[in-house]
Amino acid sequence: MHILKSRPWNLPESSATPEALVFGRRQAMALGAGMLAASPAMAQQAGLPPAMRNTRYVPGRAITAEREVTTYNNFYEFGSQKTISAAAQRMPMRPWTVKVEGMVETPREYGIEDLLARMPLEERVYRLRCVEAWAMVVPWTGFPLSALLAEVKPLSSARYVVFQTATIPSVMPGLRQSWYPWPYTEGCTLAEAANELSFMVVGAYGKLLPPQNGGPLRFHQPWKYGFKAGKSLVTIRLTDQRPVSFWEKIQSQEYGFWANVNPAVPHPRWSQAQERMLGTGESVPTLLFNGYGEFVADLYTNLQRERLWA
Amino acid sequence: MRLIGLALLALAVGLFVIFGGDPLGAVLFRLDPGLLNLVQAVVQRYLLPMIWDDLLLPVLEAPAWVVPAVLGGAMTLLGWMRARG
Repeated sequence: MHILKSRPWNLPESSATPEALVFGRRQAMALGAGMLAASPAMAQQAGLPPAMRNTRYVPGRAITAEREVTTYNNFYEFGSQKTISAAAQRMPMRPWTVKVEGMVETPREYGIEDLLARMPLEERVYRLRCVEAWAMVVPWTGFPLSALLAEVKPLSSARYVVFQTATIPSVMPGLRQSWYPWPYTEGCTLAEAANELSFMVVGAYGKLLPPQNGGPLRFHQPWKYGFKAGKSLVTIRLTDQRPVSFWEKIQSQEYGFWANVNPAVPHPRWSQAQERMLGTGESVPTLLFNGYGEFVADLYTNLQRERLWA
Repeated sequence: MRLIGLALLALAVGLFVIFGGDPLGAVLFRLDPGLLNLVQAVVQRYLLPMIWDDLLLPVLEAPAWVVPAVLGGAMTLLGWMRARG
């Protein structure tokens, strides 16, 4: 008997990128790059250069409605409630620079327009699993972190990558809570950063990434809980010291360094076995590594003594 | 009441000696780093964000000794007035 087994890369015809987008991409990118170079203000108006969807990463679930994703946000610099999207609009998105520094051969400071123009942009539809047991599926536009690392050339002594979020007290009321260990800092190992799934996000739903979702530049590793993804990044630092992240300093027992998604390991105050999909409210089973095990499980084979799951 | 007021005033002096002008929030964070995060999340998500921003946050931003000093001063005064009849 012939048994058909569905693989993540088995795609229906409906998933194919339209021909006009594929063949018009080069022309559109040239036009976009020219506009970006013209002025930052034009770049803001122009939006994202078109980016082709990378079909290697199949979410296996329907894309969450844009409105849900852009109005239900965790961004503590603006408050701990989910309804910070309006407050976040006050954050100035241009000019914006991000430093890549530390243990690299070529430290650099990039303007966001420079990154948009020179990095290999693509769209990836990734699942995002929040540690609070809700989830969404988002078409992010961005580039692999490995592309950025290739430019700055990590030293052989570098072991970790640290991501630091902007601190702008004039527009971020959450910073009034001076006792928290601002700036928001997250990190991962260099091996995790170099994994093909590690993605620097500059857009969503074909538009520039809005501030409430971490614009103009955020990080995303879809096999980890969402809090590991630093938003509105201003510094990326390579180091040989394992960083202690924002949440780890506050509640290390609940929010650890690794924070890989695992339905079998509950949060101290709730189960992680299921997740609620934003928009539909549907409850679905959570998957080990958020379903990305085939890409990342090898990273952890020799780390069984570490607390990998929270 | 006057005894409680005096105890609170003593607490205020103690907090000033130990923590100086550190905000109440910072002192609580030092004692239990997860406490304020939990309270903030409950208030902002399930009650009303304004309660945190406009009511609790100003108290947490004030030096730690202020709250027991104000409460202690008020209770001592009330107790003294009641005792005078």
